[in-house]
Amino acid sequence: MVYLHDGTFNGLLTCVYEHYYLEKANGIYPENRFEMELLEQEVHIATDDVKAKKVYDAIWNKISDEAMKNVYYTFLSNDYKKDCYILKYLELGFKMGYKVDNDHTNKDVINVHKLSSKVSKERHRLLGLLRFQEVGDVLYAPLTPDHDLIELLADHFADRMRNEKFIIHDKKRNKAVVYNKKEWMITDFTYENEIDVSEKERDFQEMWKGYFEHIGIKERKNLVLQRQFVPTRYRKNIVEFNK
Amino acid sequence: MNKNIIEKLQILADAAKYDVSCASSGVNKKNTGKIGSSQASGICHTWASDGRCVSLLKILLSNDCAYDCEYCVNRLSNDVRRASFTPEEVAELTIEFYRRNYIEGLFLSSAVEKNPNHTMEKIVKTLLILRNQYGFSGYIHVKAIPGADKILIHQAGELADRMSVNIELPTEAGLKLLAPQKTMKKLFLPMDQIKQEIGRSKYELARYRHAKSFVPAGQSTQMIVGATKESDMDMINITDQLYKKFSLKRVYFSAYVPVNQGGNLPAISSTTAPMLREHRLYQADWLLRFYKFKANELLDQSNPNFDKDFDPKMMWALRNIKEFPKEINKVSVNELLRIPGIGMISARRILKQRKIRNITFDDLKKMGVVVKRARFFITCGGKYYGEKNLDPENIKNILNPVPPYEQLSLKI
Ligand code: SF4
Repeated sequence: MVYLHDGTFNGLLTCVYEHYYLEKANGIYPENRFEMELLEQEVHIATDDVKAKKVYDAIWNKISDEAMKNVYYTFLSNDYKKDCYILKYLELGFKMGYKVDNDHTNKDVINVHKLSSKVSKERHRLLGLLRFQEVGDVLYAPLTPDHDLIELLADHFADRMRNEKFIIHDKKRNKAVVYNKKEWMITDFTYENEIDVSEKERDFQEMWKGYFEHIGIKERKNLVLQRQFVPTRYRKNIVEFNK
Repeated sequence: MNKNIIEKLQILADAAKYDVSCASSGVNKKNTGKIGSSQASGICHTWASDGRCVSLLKILLSNDCAYDCEYCVNRLSNDVRRASFTPEEVAELTIEFYRRNYIEGLFLSSAVEKNPNHTMEKIVKTLLILRNQYGFSGYIHVKAIPGADKILIHQAGELADRMSVNIELPTEAGLKLLAPQKTMKKLFLPMDQIKQEIGRSKYELARYRHAKSFVPAGQSTQMIVGATKESDMDMINITDQLYKKFSLKRVYFSAYVPVNQGGNLPAISSTTAPMLREHRLYQADWLLRFYKFKANELLDQSNPNFDKDFDPKMMWALRNIKEFPKEINKVSVNELLRIPGIGMISARRILKQRKIRNITFDDLKKMGVVVKRARFFITCGGKYYGEKNLDPENIKNILNPVPPYEQLSLKI
């Protein structure tokens, strides 16, 4: 038996709830990504906020805040089996309590730690690699992240740029963080038009590109290393890597 | 904005790029002004063509230097294009780059334009515009220009997050040879002032609500590796002293890049080695700061330089082989940290894991231990997984086998 949910975090938590109170699940998947398995019976679980809240509280109270973060970050990852790993990890966590995160040799713990740290690393990387352009009175940043994580960028920029309106656009998933100088929210978003770049914007882009070219030490050129840090797939959204 | 600024920016970026002491942050700071915050972990915003992290807008206010240090591109007698920014220009550039998330803050240095006071005044003015006019509360690192008035250094310190004075050459003799206008005493004076004021502001901040902070991210310095004849031991000893005397946050090392030709400088062709030396010095610096090693454990009169093939910790372990093997399930954290192949993260994991159950040899790899190196120095549940005897030469050979032809040629 596998449980399928609507792709929301509460959906996942509801499945975990039913795993304990309805019937054991062999796996949990978001329904839009699930690929049929011959020998598994699928059950669609309707998201139930009350049940989800119970699981949510249980993670906080019976395991730890660190576990909560690990579960949530793993949930945002792009891995096909992420929700299955979360289930295994939570099963263990409800038995071991906060100590679950110390068990670095257990494969159920390792799986979640790995994904959680992948998301966390991509977040950290994008805090730096994200680029805003001034479009009218809004700062606009297009991204194509591996993981579904733009919401994890929102607080950082809302604090840092508190007097600016900005949009952080995940072009892969057609959603965006929108900040209006007071608060941010996540919304569906598409924007395919060419951006009309003002003269001022173009000037600063040119200055930055010029600076970027000159800051490298010629005698130590190392493009392989550079590619490790800024993988090609990120480059189309980064001004200094585009002509 | 005009061509002029674009050109100046390129000249003054070129002039600043050999300074390496610019890791961002070390402080967590929310936005307390209109724009800007800091993250203790530091954020890289891009990586240059040499693979180095770019975090701060690193520029000189001016490269028009009145001094004539031999190792420096900006020296008076060099024939290079000269440029100077105004404080307003630097402030605007910083803000506009910051808004676009190109940078994490500003690292502002300068050649000695006219004289130290004139230069330092311009630096202070730039900071005033950034902090007061733009309400910038992001990260700023500035140079203290040796020889500038105390009051100017004080003003800069109240506005900046970090300050640094570059020693550049670790001995008086080195300075005399390559930087005749500088003396150790002149360099230590502002360092000492900064140290005193940091201490005082910490004391006052703890007691009075309106006390002002003074370079909350601490001070740092930089030394050039390989421009003069100092040994690694000289470098490490002075590094150790600097940490102790001036409570520095960081000492940075910069492998000498031959930008000038001069009688007292190493020949351009002989300067490939400094990169490796720089790397070894950073490893050693790390051991001093986080692994509780003492300077004299790493190098001494009979071994004044680090090894080309092995890192400083491995060399220490091989010289002190009688302290090994250590039992993974028993020894203290400080001892764990002295085992080659075990770092801060894996040591911490080992401690936690031991509380759950005993660690087996197979577990080590999952915990991030570099087993290939660690196995010679440990036991797991009393069992040893290295070679038959704990012979340093033998271990060296296994880790880094000498190719047979080299051995031959050595014997001849
Ligand atoms: S004072 Fe500084 S900028 Fe001037 S020549 Fe010496 S090192 Fe270079």
